[in-house]
Amino acid sequence: MLTFTLRRLNLFIFTMFLLTLLSFSLSFLFPGEQLINISGQVNATPEQLIILGEHYQTQSNVFQQYFAYVNMLFHGDLGISMASQLSISTEIMNFLPATIELTLVALFIAMLFGIPIGFIAAINHRKATDNIILSISMIGYSIPVFWLGLLAILVFSIQLGWLPSAGQISLLFEIEHVTGIQFIDILLSNSPYKWQAFQDASAHIFLPACVIALAPATIFVRLARSAMMEVLESQYIRAAKAKGLSFRQIIYHHAIRNAMVHVIRDVGLQFANLVTIAMVTEVIFSWPGIGRWLIESIYQRDHTAIQGGLLALSAFIFIVHIVTDFIYAALNPLARESRHGT
Amino acid sequence: MSILAVKQHIFKAMLLPFLCVISACNTENDKSLSNHSIVYCSEGSPESFNPQTVTSGTTIDATSNQLYNRLISFRGEQNTIAPSLAKSWHVTRDGKMITFYLRKDVAFHQTNYFTPTRFFNADDVLFSFNRILSAEHPFHQVSGGKYPFFQSVSFSNVVQSIEKINDYTIRFKFKYADSSILANIASDFAVILSKEYADALVLKNIKREIDTLPIGTGPFKLKEYRPGAYIRYAPHQDYWDKPSSLEQLIFDITPSSIGRLTKLLAGECDVIAFPIAHEKIKSKPELELEEVTSFNVGYLGFNTVKPPFNNVNVRQAVALAVNKQAIIDTVYQSKADMAHSLLPKTSWAYNKSTLAQTYDLSEAKKLLVDAGFPDGFTMNLWALPVQRAYNPDAITMAKLIQADLKKIGIKVLIENSLDMGSFLEQLSKGEHQSVLLGWSADHFDPDNFFTPLLSCSSAKSGNNRTFWCNEDFDDLLQQALETTNVTQRKRFYSRALAIISTEVPLIPIAHSKRFQARKNIVKGEFLSPFGGIDFSKASKN
Amino acid sequence: MARDKIYLEEEFPSPLLQLWHNFKETPVVMLGFSCFVFLTILALFSPLITPYTSVENHLDFLLLPPAWHNDGNVSFLLGTDNLGRDMLSRLMHGTSLTFGLSFVVVLISLVIGVIIGSFSALTSGIKSSFLNHFLDVILSIPSLLLAIVIVAILGTGLSNTLWAIIMVLIPQFVHITRNAVTEEFRKDYVLASRLDGASSLRILYHSVFPNILEKLISQATLAQSSAILDIAALGFLGLGAQIPMAEWGAMLKNGIDLFYIAPWTVYLPGLAILFAVVATNLVGEGMRHALKVSKEA
Repeated sequence: MLTFTLRRLNLFIFTMFLLTLLSFSLSFLFPGEQLINISGQVNATPEQLIILGEHYQTQSNVFQQYFAYVNMLFHGDLGISMASQLSISTEIMNFLPATIELTLVALFIAMLFGIPIGFIAAINHRKATDNIILSISMIGYSIPVFWLGLLAILVFSIQLGWLPSAGQISLLFEIEHVTGIQFIDILLSNSPYKWQAFQDASAHIFLPACVIALAPATIFVRLARSAMMEVLESQYIRAAKAKGLSFRQIIYHHAIRNAMVHVIRDVGLQFANLVTIAMVTEVIFSWPGIGRWLIESIYQRDHTAIQGGLLALSAFIFIVHIVTDFIYAALNPLARESRHGT
Repeated sequence: MSILAVKQHIFKAMLLPFLCVISACNTENDKSLSNHSIVYCSEGSPESFNPQTVTSGTTIDATSNQLYNRLISFRGEQNTIAPSLAKSWHVTRDGKMITFYLRKDVAFHQTNYFTPTRFFNADDVLFSFNRILSAEHPFHQVSGGKYPFFQSVSFSNVVQSIEKINDYTIRFKFKYADSSILANIASDFAVILSKEYADALVLKNIKREIDTLPIGTGPFKLKEYRPGAYIRYAPHQDYWDKPSSLEQLIFDITPSSIGRLTKLLAGECDVIAFPIAHEKIKSKPELELEEVTSFNVGYLGFNTVKPPFNNVNVRQAVALAVNKQAIIDTVYQSKADMAHSLLPKTSWAYNKSTLAQTYDLSEAKKLLVDAGFPDGFTMNLWALPVQRAYNPDAITMAKLIQADLKKIGIKVLIENSLDMGSFLEQLSKGEHQSVLLGWSADHFDPDNFFTPLLSCSSAKSGNNRTFWCNEDFDDLLQQALETTNVTQRKRFYSRALAIISTEVPLIPIAHSKRFQARKNIVKGEFLSPFGGIDFSKASKN
Repeated sequence: MARDKIYLEEEFPSPLLQLWHNFKETPVVMLGFSCFVFLTILALFSPLITPYTSVENHLDFLLLPPAWHNDGNVSFLLGTDNLGRDMLSRLMHGTSLTFGLSFVVVLISLVIGVIIGSFSALTSGIKSSFLNHFLDVILSIPSLLLAIVIVAILGTGLSNTLWAIIMVLIPQFVHITRNAVTEEFRKDYVLASRLDGASSLRILYHSVFPNILEKLISQATLAQSSAILDIAALGFLGLGAQIPMAEWGAMLKNGIDLFYIAPWTVYLPGLAILFAVVATNLVGEGMRHALKVSKEA
């Protein structure tokens, strides 16, 4: 396990190095002055610019500038936003929890529905159920998520009036922003309407999470299906059948557990895809998350914010990826062996 | 316990949050919360919480009538001037002196950042106006030192001095008589701030907060502001007039018009600004669409100090090439009047005989050739990024104009990437060649259409987006202000309108109505033909 | 008199032909394939077939619903938008943009990716390990996010979007080529050719490429469906094609503001995107299925 951890740590450090390199180079690639791009100080006087230049080592060569940048990162200084002039790390800390909340709920829903349906399809392989599930999941995988979001709002918010169409929680409730994750904040607040606020927040998160979850769920369907089919073909299942175990016992006691292990490995890989979908969904549902913030920064040409947001978001995705790798390795000792290149 | 049973338990446990969500749909418990709150979907974030420093309608809507009061205000069908913080006032015969007698027992807001220890008195009036008038005033430069409305009506030129006679009497002395001065003091911009608060801020050395954490005497006080997201107002319990029956007033900032409509249809907002899809709203029995004949004009303004629009022939050429009717049909969906002049028909200074631009492409081409642009040219057109009553969709309008001007060989580049604050800032620096903007009058006096928009002083303050400065025009305006004789004033204004027609610093496009949509459980009047919305009388069934 | 064949001829179709036979067997896949061909023809010839141009404003016919509604007009079969532009023409023109350009984009990234991938497979050592890690990091950044950032650097507009998506797709092809080529190089027939004295390049071209072609084509269809969605997503966010271009995502963005008064301006472009992506996916599925079957055979 130790070598596995060390390899993962090594990969993490290398990835962070590349990501910071990428975000650092963005300040040169974006139009405009490099110093302003990296710091966000659009209104700085010439004297302030000189002091800023010293912080970012603009007089030295590129390597020293990079180290100065990484140094600032370690101190939590990602510059200030060109548009709002607020500290970017504060903005990210404000918005990232909302995205974490949304993506995790969406991931949960995708796994909750995708995996069992995939198993069912595998068990009914070559029968009508399998084909129907495959066709529906193909369509689910092909729907553009922004279109789906709009239709979902039209049907569920307006025509049926079941669920709200925007935001994290109704503005009628005054919940202090402590962590940024609504459910935790509600529990921590001292509002007299805690239970209603909880229900309201659930109603708000449900629709966007389902919209996000659709495409990943279809992928989980396929993954679970192929994992389950592989497991069902395996020798130990045949042995179990030969032994006379009932169908139910085979599935619940042996097949699912083994198939799950295969599926978990790919969950981490899917997460990047899920976050991308979440970014677009956040815009449609006005969800106050980092995806929407990043896209708005792009509209406003706020280069510093784009750099910081990209770094934060990619780091977040990678951390989740590594966490799922750990979970997978914990469940499956075979995975702890070294894998080349990946 | 068998694994199967465990799995069944797990399944039931997962069902619980699901049921949670479903039951949230029909909750009766938070009805009480929504019964005493109004959520208003507004179209943008306010630039500041002090109307003195801005002219943007979005900021006025959010602040002026909610947080503050003025000395006098407009009331009633005829929009006559009525008492507010001033119980009564006296104007001398020559119009050079006005004495205001102030109301007693008016309390300022008490919030978690300020507690007042005294009632409103003349010191507050002195502070609020001297801040604007006197460049040496300690608060003059706070928040940039710009008071665009007051600069555009030459307020500091007209006012000679303000004297405190006693704690509840204050006297304005003017250098010359100005028939629009009372209207200007009653406008949404002339709000009264708290001197006590200002003094406290000076001690803590955070003078900026007078404009960002406001204290006023109005029916609501600021509770929380999240930029770009929402503004939370709580009712002012000790309001001198009838306090609001609401427990909360929330501005839900939603720049997208379809977003506001969605929230109205889904029940998340009670009232929305600048609604679209009027037929859809009218078809729903639980919603109501109201309209007010607004005193406004949408225009295409030229930056007359930059080429190519420093050439009057070029301006006239463009004016002849713009198809206004198409714009009215598309952008305003035929719910506006085509503008023949700057003034709408409802103004008493409106002149039928003012020459309006016709739509004549060949004449336009000829003028271009005369002006030295036989092959046309490239220009930029700045389109305002928010919806206003005078222009519900500047981007579509810009695209129509782009297509129109292509026919005479002019290439138009549309600029609309900024947010409203940056947009107005860049405009006042003159970064544009042409702009789609408009003006909603602040009061009934026709001067309000001319001076803030096209006068020389307004060009200096940056509010005159055309930077056009014409001495004859300014003279006419001055003369019209110096007399109270309506016939004479009408004559001056017709001549002024004629100058605008020939010089074309801007092309007036449409006078529109201002609409608002609400749930019909929301009661009360809050739209006015000019000025910002006012929730003080709003309530819910 | 017709005679039956006396001699049984055995046909040994080439791998590609065999693939095609397997491909043809599933009717659903053939349906998808015919839709795909239909879209391709539309993409190529749309400027010639559309009833109106895609940017003509018919100011007398604003917001017409499709012809089957009461208020519709047969000369505007699928209705018009808020500036009077014919939806049918715009949708057809959009095929060249969203669908057609996705094809071009995939082709370019395929070629570049394969070249880089093969060279990387041929090298080994620290350089290659660094490239591997670098690729993995790039692959773990979501494709749309990367494309958005590249667009932020280059500026908005359709051509920049295409460059961004090309840059995003290249790593995928590099990855797959590198893995496939490395795998093939371990096989015996390559060893045999090498013993014969063939250079790496020759082996690559004559022996390896034909064998990995199927994998590449299968990845290409995956990439195309992803490219269609990315072009449309960027158009929808306002970062890609700008109005009045008739790209489907941009049309959807334009339609949102009219959603309640003219819902067809939202339904139609969305359906078009869905249709194109499903067709591409069916073709891809069919290809993968055929691959699997021919491997098993």
